[in-house]
Amino acid sequence: MVEKSERIRYVSLAIILVLTALAGILSDGPATSFGDFLTIQSSGARLIQDFTAIGIGGAMVNAALVGLLGLGVVYFSSVTLAGPTIAGIFTILGFGFFGKTPLNCIPIMAGVWASARFAGKTMGSYSLIALFGTALGPLVTYIMFEIGLPLPFSIPLGILGGFVAGAILPAVAGSMLQLHQGYNLYNIGFTCGFLGLFASSALRAADSMEDISIVWNTTSHGTLVFLIPAISAALCFLGAVSPPVGAKRLYLDIRKLQTLSGRLPTDYFDAVDSGAPWFNMGLLGFCSALFIAVVGAPFNGPVLGGILTVIGFGAFGKSLRNCWPVVLGVCLAVVVFGKDITSPGPILAVLFVTTLAPIAGEFGILAGVAAGFIHLFMVESTAAWHGGLDLYNNGFAGGLTATLVIAILHWYRTNRTKEDFKS
Amino acid sequence: MKRKEFLNRLIGEVSNFLLEGNPLRMVISLHQEEDGAHLSFFDDRKRSEEDLKRIREALNPKHTRPELAEYYGMMAGHDTSWDARLKLIGWQIKHATVRNSDSGVQIDLWLGSDAFNPDQFTIEKDS
Repeated sequence: MVEKSERIRYVSLAIILVLTALAGILSDGPATSFGDFLTIQSSGARLIQDFTAIGIGGAMVNAALVGLLGLGVVYFSSVTLAGPTIAGIFTILGFGFFGKTPLNCIPIMAGVWASARFAGKTMGSYSLIALFGTALGPLVTYIMFEIGLPLPFSIPLGILGGFVAGAILPAVAGSMLQLHQGYNLYNIGFTCGFLGLFASSALRAADSMEDISIVWNTTSHGTLVFLIPAISAALCFLGAVSPPVGAKRLYLDIRKLQTLSGRLPTDYFDAVDSGAPWFNMGLLGFCSALFIAVVGAPFNGPVLGGILTVIGFGAFGKSLRNCWPVVLGVCLAVVVFGKDITSPGPILAVLFVTTLAPIAGEFGILAGVAAGFIHLFMVESTAAWHGGLDLYNNGFAGGLTATLVIAILHWYRTNRTKEDFKS
Repeated sequence: MKRKEFLNRLIGEVSNFLLEGNPLRMVISLHQEEDGAHLSFFDDRKRSEEDLKRIREALNPKHTRPELAEYYGMMAGHDTSWDARLKLIGWQIKHATVRNSDSGVQIDLWLGSDAFNPDQFTIEKDS
């Protein structure tokens, strides 16, 4: 039985998703939006393919449908719609603008379900892996439409590829978590990057791997510019009224969230009883959009995807306090290496580096800035390693960075002689 | 999951927590049954009522969270260099009681399969 507070969350998210689709349809018209939506299903999905370059309406309908698919998985898995699941839904909504489609998500989710059945677990136990595991969606699309096989062969093969990837994910995800001990929020991105290395190597061995290319919409359509402030305002409103606890209590709870490290798994809806997590999500959305506007980057599909992911994790580990040091680290690296912050790699790194926010939250500003700095030059290399098959490339690079930082800190902590037994 | 691995996780995380208090004595006691087990931890450091409440709440979450228990629960007891996180095991057990004994704190964990019958164990409902 779903509690009242959870019902409100379901209704709120469903409204946001439906309005996103409607905004897209109103923007481009129903026929164009539907046509573009169909085109997106068979378009390349590897990093970085901006679906808004095909059509704003089609991209928004696609993103909303992927988000609704995620919401359905949460509902039918009978797990709580709270921090981690809300983060998952916003993340897949965001990646519905550049890489995820209902077509390439379903085989992976089916694979995770099969894995749960095999292990004698409920789908609820693996629901987060099913949500985030759709990062490997491009593998399905690539096999289906890009390796040059006739469709009657390539479509079943793509479905099989996604199914197998989904079935393996639960076995690998837990082990990857041990490496960084919960200091990389996008652990499934780390896992998918690891699996992507094997998948891309297999495709290269079969001489079927194309080099990655970038489709990047440089124009900011009004609907896309308006979307993030609208969602952020809705989340702040939701935070204020759900439940109505008064301004002072809300303020204190928002402050409390800022004090948490954010290390996995920190469910902000568990940490406070007010709507502060919604407000935190809204604040992160506004700040992210402001940053993009100030530096003059386009509000295109990947950028929206990045902001929506930051918003989602505003319920599950991210806050203004633990995010700014890692963002500063990336900005410093951009200056030191003489890069253009509005170009695809750096601007996405600025948004997605917040995967490392728990490092700043736990070990302080300097550690956060250092992690952010390392992250930029790592993320610029890692996409090529997995051939762009892992949409959460920043999660992969973030996992490597977090593993390095945590290994050093672990060594330091376990070798302090003053805490040894006396001989 | 293998029973041994599960018990290792729980023992590792709770031991980590108790050792953070730098006790001079710590005892772990395991009682296994057909469809469940009872783990008791004792140390020689009494806790304040506020601390006991905090530990109790971490070990007895308000809601079952299978999505967190199965996936993130794997971190429990794995690396004891970091602060203990009792919530990681709270999601994975059936029930926990926490109280000050004569000498220090006593934490009891009840765990078992879905067929676990709490009536077969001496769980104190008010603790």
